[in-house]
Amino acid sequence: MKLLTVAEMALRELSRRRGVLLLLLALPLVCYLARRDHLGQSIRFLLLGLAWAVSTSALFASGTSRRIEPRLRLSGYRSHHLYLGRLVAMWVLGLAVAAPFFALVALDRGGEVRLGALAAAMVLAVTVAAPFGLLIGAAVPRELEGTLILLVTISLQMMIDPADSITRVTPFWSSREIGTYAVDHTGSEYLTRGLLHGVLFTVLATALVAVLSTIRLRSRPHLRYAQR
Amino acid sequence: MSDERWLHALGQELARHRLAPEVTHHVVAEAAAHLRDSGQPALRAFGTPQGYAAAVAESLASQHRPHRRPPGRVRLRASQITKRYGRRTVLKPTDLTVHAGEVAAIVGANGCGKSTFLRICAGLLSPDSGEVVVDGVLGYCPQDGGTYDFLLPEEHFVLVGAGRGLDRARSRRLGRAGAATLQWEAGDGVQARHLSGGTRQKLNLVMAALGEPDVLLLDEPYQGFDRGTYLDFWQHVWRWRDEGRAIVVVTHLLNQLDQVDQVLDLTPATREVAA
Repeated sequence: MKLLTVAEMALRELSRRRGVLLLLLALPLVCYLARRDHLGQSIRFLLLGLAWAVSTSALFASGTSRRIEPRLRLSGYRSHHLYLGRLVAMWVLGLAVAAPFFALVALDRGGEVRLGALAAAMVLAVTVAAPFGLLIGAAVPRELEGTLILLVTISLQMMIDPADSITRVTPFWSSREIGTYAVDHTGSEYLTRGLLHGVLFTVLATALVAVLSTIRLRSRPHLRYAQR
Repeated sequence: MSDERWLHALGQELARHRLAPEVTHHVVAEAAAHLRDSGQPALRAFGTPQGYAAAVAESLASQHRPHRRPPGRVRLRASQITKRYGRRTVLKPTDLTVHAGEVAAIVGANGCGKSTFLRICAGLLSPDSGEVVVDGVLGYCPQDGGTYDFLLPEEHFVLVGAGRGLDRARSRRLGRAGAATLQWEAGDGVQARHLSGGTRQKLNLVMAALGEPDVLLLDEPYQGFDRGTYLDFWQHVWRWRDEGRAIVVVTHLLNQLDQVDQVLDLTPATREVAA
């Protein structure tokens, strides 16, 4: 119940930032339209734009809450209510942003793409991006630094040679692999390793968020509550 | 200002000073009689209603302090708290014990560690040494921040209330009731970012007191309050004290200090607790 209340309030707060919502939609759209002449690139850029938008939202949601969470802890919340509630909110937001783009691609290039795999790639992009944004927010207290880290990560992901093995340690490699499976009709090994990478990265990022949040919002040992 | 409005304002101000209704009525009647007899305008005869009410309240308070029930058990005990930031010592060993039904004020110059001490008491900051023991539920009101810009006040009440185990309807009801006592209508659907600084602090204060915590830690919660709300705030403090809660207020405004139970002065040259 507490977790859902946190998720609900995070969504309410985000949904009232109309400018942010427009930009959230604009980012993947621009990425898609910029390379629309090339199907593979447009889909990969769309997935990256989606991941970028969601992780940026998560980063800023994390920053907005940083000053309020200590008082929420005092009000009876546990650390996991706070970070998991926010994570759920970011996932819901990300899926809401992804849905119209899936419809767009289905209408625009539906015959050329494996739509089920595209849906999986979008879901995975959102699934990974939310904890990744929260992780940067948890690790770097200032939003400017966090934004720059995110920018570096996304730029690296865009510019790096796909054949280079280092791509496998980048956060959104999973959706790229599934995107390739969806667009280039490659073998199912792309789908399998993409799913595996996405799930592992999500678990790892969420675990790190949990550790950092729990440390930051821990009960300080100097404070004891008397037995009643 | 007409005499009628002045007398009405005087009545309101006296009530804010917690004078009994019959005393308020008596003072207003006497003032009205004086104005009738003298023919002077009220402002010239008595000054502002606020000033006159304060003078009357002070005079009555000095004649007979109300008897209060003795303080209850210890709700907050901070022992030998020290804190340094780098080479700068912010808090030398500091003690504070507050019982149920007591108000402690923390005073001192800017930068002397008032907010740091309160944050340590709340468990939001670790001291370098010392310990804090709390008996009961803590409520904390920060100096600023502590709210979401794009949420409505009622949503803040629901958020804090859920943490305290209250259902939504009760959280809203308690929040609105708390706001009303600070002369604020909280159910009007204005996002926190559109509230004035003073009203945002009222929101902060209501959130801190939601769910009736046993120990209230208030870090200059009245910033931005107008004078009337400031007096209402202290009425709240006295009421919470009468209900048996332990309250710690960080303040730099000294005109209420004669009414608190103890003063912890953190100014380096004058470190002491005055009971």
